[in-house]
Amino acid sequence: MVESLFQPLNIFLLGLGSGFLIPLLSRIAKPLPAMGFIIALLGMTVISGVCLWRIHHGAATIEVLTAGSVPPFSINLRFGAWEGFFSLWVNVVAVLGAWHLWERLRGRYVLLLLYLILTMGINGMIMTRDLFNQFVFLEIVSIATYGLLGSDRSPAALAASFKYIMATVLASSFFLLGAGLLYHVTGTLNIDEMIANRALIAGPIGITALLFVLSCILLELKPFPANGWGLDVYETASSGIAAIVSVLVSAGVFFALLKLLPLFEEVLGILVISGGVTFLFSNLVGLRQTNVQRMLGYSSIAQMGLLVLAVGLLWQLGAEQALPLVVGGLFINHLFAKAGLFWLAGIVGRREANSWSDVAGSPFLLSVLAVFLVAIAGLPPFPGFWAKWELIMQAAGGGRYVWIAVILVGSLLEAAYMFRWFKQATRPLADQAAIRVASGKYVPLIACALLLFASGYVAAHLAGAMSLLLVAPLFVGVTLYILDWLPSRSKCALMLVSVFVVGGWIVRETQGLPGLFAVLLVAGGLVIASAGLYRSDARRGFYPMLAVLLLSIASSLRATTSLEFFFHWEIITLSSYFLIAQRPGAHPYVLQFLLFSLVSAFCLVAGFGIAASANGTTALAALATSGPDAAAAFALLAFGFLIKAGAVGVHIWLPGAYAEADDDLSAMLSAVISKVAVFGLFMVTYLAIRSEAGLEMAHVMGWIGLLTTIAGAVMAFQQNDMKRMLGYSSMSQTGYIITAIALMSHLGWVTAFYLVANHLLVKGILFLAVASVILRTGTRMLDQTGGLVGKMPVTCIAVMIALISMSGLPPLAGFGGKWLLLSAMVDNEWYGLAIVGIFATFIGFLYMFRLAYTFLARSRKPADDGIREAPLPLLLPQLVLVVAILVLSFFPKLVMDPVSAAIDPYFASTLVWEGMSLETIYGYWNPVPVMVVSVAAAGVLLGLFLVIYRVRRGRSTPRDAEQFYRFYRAVFTPIVTPVANRFWDGVCDMTMAMGGAVRRIYNGNGQTYALHVLYYVIAVYVFGRYALSGQ
Amino acid sequence: MGLPVSQILLATGFMLMLVGVWGMLTHRNILRIIIGFSLVDTGMHIVLVATGYVTGGTAPIIDEALNAGEAASRAVDPIPSALVVTAIVIGFSVTAIMLSFAIRIHKTRKTLSIDALTESRW
Repeated sequence: MVESLFQPLNIFLLGLGSGFLIPLLSRIAKPLPAMGFIIALLGMTVISGVCLWRIHHGAATIEVLTAGSVPPFSINLRFGAWEGFFSLWVNVVAVLGAWHLWERLRGRYVLLLLYLILTMGINGMIMTRDLFNQFVFLEIVSIATYGLLGSDRSPAALAASFKYIMATVLASSFFLLGAGLLYHVTGTLNIDEMIANRALIAGPIGITALLFVLSCILLELKPFPANGWGLDVYETASSGIAAIVSVLVSAGVFFALLKLLPLFEEVLGILVISGGVTFLFSNLVGLRQTNVQRMLGYSSIAQMGLLVLAVGLLWQLGAEQALPLVVGGLFINHLFAKAGLFWLAGIVGRREANSWSDVAGSPFLLSVLAVFLVAIAGLPPFPGFWAKWELIMQAAGGGRYVWIAVILVGSLLEAAYMFRWFKQATRPLADQAAIRVASGKYVPLIACALLLFASGYVAAHLAGAMSLLLVAPLFVGVTLYILDWLPSRSKCALMLVSVFVVGGWIVRETQGLPGLFAVLLVAGGLVIASAGLYRSDARRGFYPMLAVLLLSIASSLRATTSLEFFFHWEIITLSSYFLIAQRPGAHPYVLQFLLFSLVSAFCLVAGFGIAASANGTTALAALATSGPDAAAAFALLAFGFLIKAGAVGVHIWLPGAYAEADDDLSAMLSAVISKVAVFGLFMVTYLAIRSEAGLEMAHVMGWIGLLTTIAGAVMAFQQNDMKRMLGYSSMSQTGYIITAIALMSHLGWVTAFYLVANHLLVKGILFLAVASVILRTGTRMLDQTGGLVGKMPVTCIAVMIALISMSGLPPLAGFGGKWLLLSAMVDNEWYGLAIVGIFATFIGFLYMFRLAYTFLARSRKPADDGIREAPLPLLLPQLVLVVAILVLSFFPKLVMDPVSAAIDPYFASTLVWEGMSLETIYGYWNPVPVMVVSVAAAGVLLGLFLVIYRVRRGRSTPRDAEQFYRFYRAVFTPIVTPVANRFWDGVCDMTMAMGGAVRRIYNGNGQTYALHVLYYVIAVYVFGRYALSGQ
Repeated sequence: MGLPVSQILLATGFMLMLVGVWGMLTHRNILRIIIGFSLVDTGMHIVLVATGYVTGGTAPIIDEALNAGEAASRAVDPIPSALVVTAIVIGFSVTAIMLSFAIRIHKTRKTLSIDALTESRW
């Protein structure tokens, strides 16, 4: 009895039966249709759930035969794992969608009926194994959709619906014709028989028929450019119905494609091209959208394009085993996230994206929006991330680099407009109107968000990456988020304890270079994070996110495969993005930060893909032994890490993010987070060792490093804002580290790590000291403060020590590092670099001196009379870091020996410095001559600068350092014209202009759209004939 | 003997489809567009029925005139006809829906010109 209740066929009985019953029930009593509807819809969902559960636990695929006969004489339905998966989640989203639409559905039984028929039709499209039946279910779904669309009575919605109907009836005509002709050539309508007799589909009629069927299915998925009709509906329909069209109807059509795929084996190129073009161009045009629902429409169309591309590509590559993760992951990701976004758009009720700032006052809506956007952008921990990764790995394995580029560029464009929308939603404005929503409306949103997390967990399992290490940071983050109601300082303390305990557990077994980085970054991160105790405001969500960030850094150092590393890398990116976005002042800069981070991430994923296909494994250890094939991978990976390290040209995200983040977060960004990119550089530079080309690239990287140093120093010199100056200074110092890594020698690497440690300590102190100054004086402008030494003596001493160490003056830590670096460059015969290095060091002196001058010598403003020393929570971390600098300075062997030991085993025998102990290095590399030359050069340069200053100003000596700086800042101004900014602005404008030009094809005319549909069919036909004739 | 009836049907069907598409694309009036769609539909039905025709075949009714053994070679294939019956029903309901949209559009705009329906674009 129970057994027969849970049969897939009953889904159709419920759908059709209620179709007849609901009108009758409405005659009997008012609430009855709604009750019948609920029972039927839940019944369908439960049936699909139970059937899928059975199949998951080993039951055989359910074959449903009808009409007391066997196929091909009757229609049969199939409910296997794939069908069950699609059917169940379609039904679940249909239930949630009905919840969202309930106000509208409840009162009108016709809509209830249509909704049920629609859901049943989609189930039918998924399960049927008969080609004509497929057409019938497609039409049932279409007619139900038309009916639901008709429930919007606005003129624009009616107009859009009519265009939609015109285009889809044309498309389905081709399906009907194609199905009829396929029957004509194969003598069967049964899909399985047709696949078995695939060879019969030949000759002009067979091929035409096949291409007609394919065109119709692709058209129903709204391919570019024949999709204006779909976009208009997405824009004008009510959010609930747009969501149905976007995720449910598309799911049914997509499954039809999946089912018929074996028939299209020879023309998979059409799928790949059409899907790729759709993904790229829809996202390009999406950039120009300001209407939220239309923007979501572009994104929906793009995601369907991506699915089609993925399925075509994987099938072409014979990677069917990847289908569950890639297709299942992308599908479920889009299903929940896009449905959630449409519903959210409906709840918020602001059609234009720039009026979404009203959401800024609602943390709940913002969090949900963030979850959905992160999911749609294919970022972790959601299934889209795992799916895209696997897709790119497979594409790289098959050498399909063009499609990797298409996927990554399209994803970037999509993230750009999606997160721009988020930016508009987080922009707090004075005249916000509060959004009032009945709390029941939240249920579908929460359900989708939770399902996304759960499916991300399952996808991680499928990807074979699930481990405690992976979820630990997120788990701690969620736990802390639950405790977010605690007072601020307790939250901070709790965060520190959990990072200490869990972070210690995560890194406990790391060894070698990752182990050193782990100690340095986790300890440094904890010390700097403890400065957060100086703030007593609530900082909602700050500490959970910070815990996620720090623990992800720890986990990324523990990663053994590139997938694990990349997962943590993305989490680090996301958590820093959300942390920076916390401060309203950072608002204009966060999008830039995120987009550059994503470009970096996409370079990494492409690079890891190529490396994995060259090495045959994603294990990070294999990077150290890979052959010359991996040179391209090195270029991409190095570029990716250089972006995040803030190398010159791609640095423009850096100053804004560093300067406008919360004051203690700036210290974290500069001191700790930037080091993850440096660690990445260490990791991938192995790739360059094996080939001549790789070593050339390393030389280029050395130049990039020093140019970054100079550019950073010159720009730091120009700044009046202390935090910006320190931001540029970070860029400048990271440049040295990049060069040191690029040396590809033992000494270079020891130096690099030494510089990393030094920079972490120094920038930690400086940013925290600036935080103290801002706290006490309320300004961060250099010219508005000064003479703090009497008022804030401890801070000033810490700053002095940090500056001396950073500048590379004896006797502190920077000294060792910097001169060793210059010596190593000379010995590598990189003379050009060495000269540039000396010049850079000199410019560095100039801006550092200016900072010191402000703190110490400059006369105090009367307004500053009342200021006091910084609070203890800010001073303590600085003092700890000062002690660390002193240890590093006077006992360098404590660091150098483990570093040297950690680096040795990796290096190949081709390298000169293999196995040489530190003493011999010091013995061999006598830094004194280089140092003398450099100091002399710096002295000469300073003299030269003074002379120029004197001649130009016509004065004897600079009485005042301020005038000296004012003069040189004016002189340097032409050098720091924001070339990079202009370049990237140009790229941005050009992309937008392209989007604007492309979208002209959507002129709003239904007949043009119908013509597009015809053109599309003709294009598929021509391409298909060409592809088939070539075989 | 002249042309077989199936060829005439096929030619007529395809001609009707082309006329219908031409009508959908050139006429501005929504009602004419719907008529164009009906022509496409009808043309397609004729084509499908024609594909099932067997020259000289008889009606696929197994009785004393046609025994089961001969059915495959002498009878017209009934399946396309069965499909077309279903397709006619579907086409009918789609036409009805299109017409109801036409009525509503006319109610809100007082025009049936498709050129008026371009408010959402780009």
